Amino acid sequence: MNDDFVHKWKSQVKKGTLAFIALNVLQDKEYYGYELIEQIKKHTKIEIAEGTLYPLMNRLKKENLVTSKWVEQDSGIPRKYYTLTPTGTETLLQMRTFWFDLEKSIKTISK
Amino acid sequence: MKPIQFTNKTAQKIYDDYISRIKRTAAPLNKADTEEILMELNSHIYEGMLNKTPKNEIENLVDITEKLGAPEEILKPLIAQKKLEQATKTFNPVHIFKALVLNISNGIAYVFFAVLYLTLLGFVFLILEKIKNPDHVGLFFKNGNFHLLGTRNPATLEALGLTEVLGNWFIPVMLLSIVVLYMLITLLLRLKRKR
Repeated sequence: MNDDFVHKWKSQVKKGTLAFIALNVLQDKEYYGYELIEQIKKHTKIEIAEGTLYPLMNRLKKENLVTSKWVEQDSGIPRKYYTLTPTGTETLLQMRTFWFDLEKSIKTISK
Repeated sequence: MKPIQFTNKTAQKIYDDYISRIKRTAAPLNKADTEEILMELNSHIYEGMLNKTPKNEIENLVDITEKLGAPEEILKPLIAQKKLEQATKTFNPVHIFKALVLNISNGIAYVFFAVLYLTLLGFVFLILEKIKNPDHVGLFFKNGNFHLLGTRNPATLEALGLTEVLGNWFIPVMLLSIVVLYMLITLLLRLKRKR
């Protein structure tokens, strides 16, 4: 067994699916950065390099898949909330179709 | 950005250092983008501290910043991307140069852009040389075909069979080439960024 290869492969899969995961988490509710990371960890049990989420969210924003707004807090340290845009919802559906088709294919060839 | 206040002096120092590293890393960006990054990472640290038991500030802070990662690493793709946006929006040569340096590890295409940019700087150099040594610099042809764009000792021109073809038009042609090449680089960068 090549543990090193599997480890690298897992990290590539995580990196490649992080956008898909983040969009899924945001489908029903808006979240601020820290909360979004906690949700991702809770639902997927994957340990992500937390800092990588912020450049990713910036990219998703640029692609018009999410929007963000700063919400003032009593502490004086505001939270930046992310919401899925209509384009984001549409894109997420396309991604899901691809993901489920891929899953089906993998199941077929794994038998 | 409102800084977080820690009761423990060491925790405060660790936090201040981390924020300084973010500021240093984000320095190539404009003020608004730097502030946005700072506020977001600061909010992450603050929320992280709130979600932990307040017993050990240092331990909690180190845990949060370690999980967040080194600012130099996590901000690298963001800075490279922002710089490229800035460069293609403004046509500012300083921004273009910085964007190319930051993105050079993001693919062979940026190496190609860097070569184009160096060519452009070469044209600038030729204009300056032409002003200093008008007889040495030019576009040289041999037997009706292109031979060299650069400098040649005028004493050897005849022996080598070279003719300078641009004459007084050398500087205007170079200036025009610089403008065209510069627009081309910036537009290609814009196209590459949009893909």
